[in-house]
Amino acid sequence: MEKTDQEPASRGRPEAIKAVPVRHPGRWVTVAVVAVLGAMLLHVLFTNPALDWDFVGAVLRDPTVVHGIWTTLELTVLAMLMGVVGGVLLAVMRLSKNPVLSGAAWFYIWVFRGTPVLVQLVLWNNIGFLWKEISLGVPFGPSFWSQESNTLVPVFTAALLGLGLNEAAYMAEIVRAGIQSVDEGQSEAAHALGMSRATALRRIVLPQAMRVIIPPTGNETISMLKTTSLVQVISLVELFTAGHDISTRTYKPIAAMIAVSIYYLLLTSILTVGQYYLERYYARGANRTLPPTPLQRVRALFAGRAPAKPAASAAPAGSAATDGAPGGAPDGRKDA
Amino acid sequence: MTDLSKPQEAPGRPMVRAEGVHKSYGQVEVLKGIDLEVRQSEVFCLVGPSGSGKSTFLRCINHLEKINAGRLYVDGELVGYRQKGDRLYELRDREVALKRQDIGMVFQRFNLFPHMTALENVTEAPVQVKKENRAAARDRAMALLERVGLADKAGNYPSQLSGGQQQRVAIARALAMQPKLMLFDEPTSALDPELVGEVLDVMRGLAEEGMTMIVVTHEMGFAREVGDALVFMDGGVVVESGHPREVLGNPQHERTRAFLSKVL
Repeated sequence: MEKTDQEPASRGRPEAIKAVPVRHPGRWVTVAVVAVLGAMLLHVLFTNPALDWDFVGAVLRDPTVVHGIWTTLELTVLAMLMGVVGGVLLAVMRLSKNPVLSGAAWFYIWVFRGTPVLVQLVLWNNIGFLWKEISLGVPFGPSFWSQESNTLVPVFTAALLGLGLNEAAYMAEIVRAGIQSVDEGQSEAAHALGMSRATALRRIVLPQAMRVIIPPTGNETISMLKTTSLVQVISLVELFTAGHDISTRTYKPIAAMIAVSIYYLLLTSILTVGQYYLERYYARGANRTLPPTPLQRVRALFAGRAPAKPAASAAPAGSAATDGAPGGAPDGRKDA
Repeated sequence: MTDLSKPQEAPGRPMVRAEGVHKSYGQVEVLKGIDLEVRQSEVFCLVGPSGSGKSTFLRCINHLEKINAGRLYVDGELVGYRQKGDRLYELRDREVALKRQDIGMVFQRFNLFPHMTALENVTEAPVQVKKENRAAARDRAMALLERVGLADKAGNYPSQLSGGQQQRVAIARALAMQPKLMLFDEPTSALDPELVGEVLDVMRGLAEEGMTMIVVTHEMGFAREVGDALVFMDGGVVVESGHPREVLGNPQHERTRAFLSKVL
């Protein structure tokens, strides 16, 4: 890229400004306060006997806890998958011109968003009380296939139904907001080219809606990761339940929960990084140039500090820079 | 001047025919009985003050708006309906979409797809709608971009293009469907003055090749030079029509004169 403002100084050009920067004494005060608080925290973490770090390590390695991570991940991924697919379906139904479809979607959202997930989990787990067996066939007529409810809906499936169907109601509203954020001229242009409604939605509207849909969906995913801990009420052992079982057995709840929290933080960090790159992908075309990724920034920093080469576009130094903290601060420089 | 190069001897078959077209939004009647005929290969200009219904009429032609009364035909076929006996049946979405494939439209605000490059904008409809082979669509798209002078911008996203460039990509996008009729809805109104020319040049080229074009415009110079017919609309009716040079040079109605005195 050419940088027009880096032309060699012409003859009549005045000297570059070198001013004394504004001082920020307030910053030093905040640094001091944060440093003291940080020291206090470290002190507690390493001297309080209730915090048995060896025990934390033992919990981290405990096989039921490690297995619990997988259950948590499985539940999160599958429930979000149900949520996203169901949400898109419900959002399209709600925006449909067919009043029955939009009414049905409205009703679904009203029910599933209006009752606690905890209640829904318990309901799904006890579906056998309502229908002893579930069968496929003609309504009010003969059935071709049937299965006992308790066999058909084991605990894991009940957890998945509870979490996924509830999530679909939330995702429906997120997707609807995204679809409505796309300029009407876009679907008009698509229709004028002869695209069907479905093609226009799939190729033109939804990809643009993604920019609005992804950030809250990232939130929902992270929220889901933690909400999976609620399945404890139906006795499904995932990360939290595994840690909780240890804490009740050993009377060391703080250490057990710290171990569990470490895993939760680790998982959310990974998700945040994934979200960052997904957002970047769907920002294609929306910004003239994409802001650099944290990794690219770190590299640019090293490249910049290396010899006296101010041009940031020079090939980055081969430093194996660590990926920037997920932070997820999308501020960057918005535009000039 | 351009008249020389244009096949003007025999009037072509009618491409668009409107008979008493009415359109209202609730209580507000926007079109109050439009009668007109656009012939093949004609450049037909619609002018008039804003709110006169000219854009609405244009949008009726490809059924982006439904008309309330009257009949509207494109290439001899009723727009949006099928007639059996004296009964009208609404067309299904799919049938409407099929007819729109033959009618290109260019919008005032370009409406390019921002998540696709210029090239992808042009190949999108042929590939998705006509199920054209990707490579073939790409070659044709490149040729079209070349024709509007933007072959070097094929990989750029719309946000990286100027208004004039975006509008030229939009024209290429419409042409990619090989339409028999092109609708232009104030194609230069959203452009900086110095970018208007490049878009008009492309349109002039199209006209010379014999494309049937209906152009809603405030560019009287373009209408006079390229147009074969011109209609002045006001308040939802056709006030005056004729050859552009006659209507613009010697308007017969007071309203036409008042309007032209403001824009010329």
